Amino acid sequence: MDHTTTHSGIQALDEVLQGIRSGDNVVWQVDCLEDYRYFAEPFAEAAIANHLRLVYLRFASHPCVLAPRPGLETIELNPSLGFDSFTREVHRLIEGHGPGAMYVFDNLSALVVEWATDELLANFFQITCPFLFELNTIAYFALTRGQHAHSAVARIRDTTQILVDVYQAKGRMHIHPIKVWDRYSPQMFLPHLVAGESWLPLSHSSEAVEVLTSAHPTPLIETTRPLAPWESVYQKLVHYREHPSGLDETDPEQMALKQELGRMLIGHHPIFNQLADRYFTLDDLFAIRNRLIGAGRIGGKAAGMLLARRILLTEKKKNGVNLTERLEDHDSFYIGSDVFFTFLVHNDLFRLRLHLTCNSATSDEEFKEIEDRFLAGRFPATIEEQFRAMLDYYGQAPIIVRSSSLLEDSFGNAFAGKYRSIFCANQGNPETRLAEFMKAVKLVYASALNPDALCYRSRRGLGESDEQMAILVQRVSGMPYRQYFFPTLAGVAFSRNLYAWNDRIDTRQGIIRLVFGLGTRAVERVGSDYPRMVAISHPNLRPEVGAMVAKYSQRQVDLLDLKTNRFDSRFLSDILVDNHYPNLRLFVSVMHDHYPYDPVSGKVEGITNQWVLTFNNLIHQTDFVRVMGEILVTLEEAYGQPVDIEFTAFVGSDERVRINLVQCRPLFLPGSMEDVSMPTSLEPHQILFRAHRMICGGFVEQIRYILYIDPQRYHRLSSEAKKSLGRLVGQINRHPAIQGNKIMMMGPGRWGTSNIALGVNVSYADIDNASVLVELALEEAGHVPEVSYGTHFFNDLVEGQVIYLPVYPDDTASEFQVKFFKTAPNIFLELLPHAGEYESILRLIDVPKTTGGAFAQVVADPQLNDAICFLDKDVATTF
Amino acid sequence: MLEMNPFTIAQRQLDAAAERLGLDQATHDLLRWPQQELRVTLPVQMDDGKVQIFHAYRIQYNTARGPAKGGLRWHPEETIDTVRALAAWMTWKTAVVDIPLGGGKGGVTCNPKSMSEAEKQRLARAYIRAIAWTISVSKDVPAPDVYTTPQIMAWMMDEYETMVGHHHPGVITGKPIPLGGSEGRGDATARGGVYVTREAAKQLNIDLRGKTMAIQGFGNAGQYAALLGSELLGLKLVAASDSRGGIYNAKGIDPKQVVDYKLKSGSLHGFPGAESITNEELLELDVTVLFPSALENVITAANAGRIKCKISCELANGPMTPEADDILHQNNVFVLPDFLANAGGVTVSYFEQVQNTYNFYWPLEEIHQRLDEKMTRGFHGVYQMYLREKVNMRQAAYLVSVARVAEACKLRGWV
Repeated sequence: MDHTTTHSGIQALDEVLQGIRSGDNVVWQVDCLEDYRYFAEPFAEAAIANHLRLVYLRFASHPCVLAPRPGLETIELNPSLGFDSFTREVHRLIEGHGPGAMYVFDNLSALVVEWATDELLANFFQITCPFLFELNTIAYFALTRGQHAHSAVARIRDTTQILVDVYQAKGRMHIHPIKVWDRYSPQMFLPHLVAGESWLPLSHSSEAVEVLTSAHPTPLIETTRPLAPWESVYQKLVHYREHPSGLDETDPEQMALKQELGRMLIGHHPIFNQLADRYFTLDDLFAIRNRLIGAGRIGGKAAGMLLARRILLTEKKKNGVNLTERLEDHDSFYIGSDVFFTFLVHNDLFRLRLHLTCNSATSDEEFKEIEDRFLAGRFPATIEEQFRAMLDYYGQAPIIVRSSSLLEDSFGNAFAGKYRSIFCANQGNPETRLAEFMKAVKLVYASALNPDALCYRSRRGLGESDEQMAILVQRVSGMPYRQYFFPTLAGVAFSRNLYAWNDRIDTRQGIIRLVFGLGTRAVERVGSDYPRMVAISHPNLRPEVGAMVAKYSQRQVDLLDLKTNRFDSRFLSDILVDNHYPNLRLFVSVMHDHYPYDPVSGKVEGITNQWVLTFNNLIHQTDFVRVMGEILVTLEEAYGQPVDIEFTAFVGSDERVRINLVQCRPLFLPGSMEDVSMPTSLEPHQILFRAHRMICGGFVEQIRYILYIDPQRYHRLSSEAKKSLGRLVGQINRHPAIQGNKIMMMGPGRWGTSNIALGVNVSYADIDNASVLVELALEEAGHVPEVSYGTHFFNDLVEGQVIYLPVYPDDTASEFQVKFFKTAPNIFLELLPHAGEYESILRLIDVPKTTGGAFAQVVADPQLNDAICFLDKDVATTF
Repeated sequence: MLEMNPFTIAQRQLDAAAERLGLDQATHDLLRWPQQELRVTLPVQMDDGKVQIFHAYRIQYNTARGPAKGGLRWHPEETIDTVRALAAWMTWKTAVVDIPLGGGKGGVTCNPKSMSEAEKQRLARAYIRAIAWTISVSKDVPAPDVYTTPQIMAWMMDEYETMVGHHHPGVITGKPIPLGGSEGRGDATARGGVYVTREAAKQLNIDLRGKTMAIQGFGNAGQYAALLGSELLGLKLVAASDSRGGIYNAKGIDPKQVVDYKLKSGSLHGFPGAESITNEELLELDVTVLFPSALENVITAANAGRIKCKISCELANGPMTPEADDILHQNNVFVLPDFLANAGGVTVSYFEQVQNTYNFYWPLEEIHQRLDEKMTRGFHGVYQMYLREKVNMRQAAYLVSVARVAEACKLRGWV
């Protein structure tokens, strides 16, 4: 690279440094802004005089370094949006200005006030500086001396081309070049007195001693006056806390410090903060900080979990249930969000991420390569040491490494399943366990770049938001059983029940999706497995009767295999070789002649193949459901809106259930919960169908297209054909003719399931243009009334505001106009002429064309549990 | 087009048989209608304290050959005409295997999916209180059917015994074994089907050992058909399917392994060592014996011409449309019609009733032996009619059963 020498505006400085070169980043370590301005001002003037592009990046609250003038472009930036956004914005600016520009930055120390840690400051510099270098620019930076961690300054020193210490000694300014890359003179790195036309080095020892001892009274102490709130706020709070009178909750300053610590750990969401301020004590915050690896925030998932626990412990007494006695303790660790960026920066991955965030069209193969790059990355030694300490603490207990990004699980963004969570069985020697753990962390980090997550962020308008990946490390609940490790019970629960399979169920009370073993089985749509759905208002009811109970039950158990050291799924009958599993009678029923019988004694009869997971005795004979109900009510009250939680549970020898709350987040319902009015004067032939079961609220009018997949014909397709059909759905979803019009998609079984025999094989991206998604539950065709409620797919629908309705055409109350859907003219081939063989299965109906001008309309009232799809005009139709 | 009333269908089937048998008008008319119908209205207290009213039925269609016998359905769409039709079919079914019982059926219009166990128990007891005067081991014996379970039978028996003040377990069958349920009920339907398949093969001069079988529908009956077809007849299972698709291996599939897999995993999907096959492909396989064991109307005029099996043993109810029946008959596919082929279930129910009455319980082997005798006799009765009248086996079965019931009515001097 050709590095042209440029005039710094000060001849003497050019002489000391042997000139400033294009590509140089120059960091001035100063005590005050005036000292920085002393150098920046001549630099700016020289650039203007030489007709070079000069850009001043203004982001600090201190006075302007450069006053406005002709030839100077001043760009204001807002660092309070967060490290991620700020860095991205700076990069965009630099890229936009291209090679050869001259930059003056505000004092970088101001960034620390916003971002809390020196680590992020160093990260910013380490990412930005090489980019400037590549573009042959010259950039001036300032850093306030003595206010930053030595490690951060060291990283800046290692990255920059020029680092100059500036200080006043004996009333006179001195400069002391610490680093001048690729240049050398015998006296270059001595302090120089800034005076006269030529700045002389302090080469005499007595002069040097005098100046340096005055400028650096404590040269080896890291930080004399820490500026980063991460340290300063904490230190102040420690000081107050250790005071004999303790923390004074009436002192505004102390409370402000507590709040600030809360913000640094939790984030800035106003509703979240309100809850955090109300429920978290200083001890809670200290407890978080004491278990935090690295620095930064703990992310939405960790914050939600901690907040919910604290709410339950505070509001502990509810309707006779003492939640304190029912809540298990936790000993989680957190990997601060700063570690994510440090990892990216250390391993040259930040710009890759920057590129991908802007351009989300990554294929699965490309993502695999990205994962490999992450896996090859290394952590800083200090972080690795902390990992070791944490693993020593857990010993060989299994742990789970869960993504906990800043956006995740906060209000309005569930990010369900977008980022990874990885179990570590945590077996083997310490080195093996550390390697496995770090691999898990890297894969979680890489998942921030997975195409689904980037696409999700972009669709939600979050592409530019500050997104940092913190990690929550939790002990896996449970106990070893044979060679396996799993919790007895796990699942998800919702404070509102939209899966009401009959009118008696009160939707205002919650629902539990309960499994035996790890809860992964409850949040994913898996094969032919069915979690037990427990309606809190009527726990004794279930949507199946008699012999069908076994069919719609959980067959496989997710667990950690301690022998193979990995996560696995096993059939229940392979795990339970005898009836000695503790409290087994609470979880299984015994099949005799294909009917389930609940065990009447502690000893469960029969052989393992006869046992089916019904949880009947748990539900009927313990207060599990009542406790869960109280937890949900308490959390919903505190949050001020519906919530969903993930939990594990175990039953003690006294048959008392204890709950471990592993996640809590605000629950968003599909469509809207606003009042809608149901149409009252429809002619029967206007009605296309009704739905009375699980209802999402909302109102969609002007539905022009209906995509109808014939359930019986679909059922007869080969597996290959079913897969192809899923892709065709995606093609219609993205077809230009459909864009700009509303489309309702209707098809059999469980959409989005991994088992194509159970329902239409699509990913969310295949249906994201649909306004309404209808799952047709036809038992005749083998498609079962198990819905996606509570799964990640469901959450995608929620956030995409797709109205989701399960319809039971066999139920006469559904008024399902099968003839309309089966005989209306099919325009499918007009859009996809190559797919003729699917014409009889995939029907695309142009509603106004078919009906002579009427569009379809859907009104769903979540309060009444009633939804209707109808033609919006009473047109003469043969259907 | 409106779906045909099931009772109208049942009457038409009878009409065809009556015409062929040359039944006199009075007997024909008598058999066209239920002998006794009871409609009751049941107030039941729900868990929330409110009282809900349920409508229920019990129909004794014909008791000329013995006490009525038939299931009790709890279904939200239940109508009296469905119950009538099913009661008629029970009459023919008990007659075709020549057990000394008539036909009956009961129903409660309710949605068991919205009822707790306590509510179901109260409804079961209320039903028995309302119909107790018309049931007993010598009058009418209900059994489980759609959405009713052995547990519900146990509550009903208990209520009845409380009312009459003594033990009377035979008033209900399908009870849990500790309360007088019979051994051998679990595999009774499939076992009965396997016995009649054996007899059919003998008549057709087919040595079944090493021959192939395919099973469409792998629920209770299908699973036992796989096990017993192999164990008792030496058939080789080559294909099986359930609602999620099928599996196929021309070299054979171990029935024990596949049943274990189904019980474990809930489906056949992914069974190792077999390739995937659709339900439709399975029906059209070139096998010796096909057991349709799942749904109604899977063999229709559309696919009947492609059915290649030698014997079709209908363990499911109504797997074939009448048009398909004719096509298979023309193509020399030997059909063992549903109400003969799956009569093993009601036969063991009858055994339960007998054992309850004697208060003496047979060992499993004895039940199997007696079931074999009944099914074998039942088959031969129908087969003789088939040869004599040159009709298809379904029509022959109707002729046998209607003739038996008509004869009993006549002997009693009713007509």
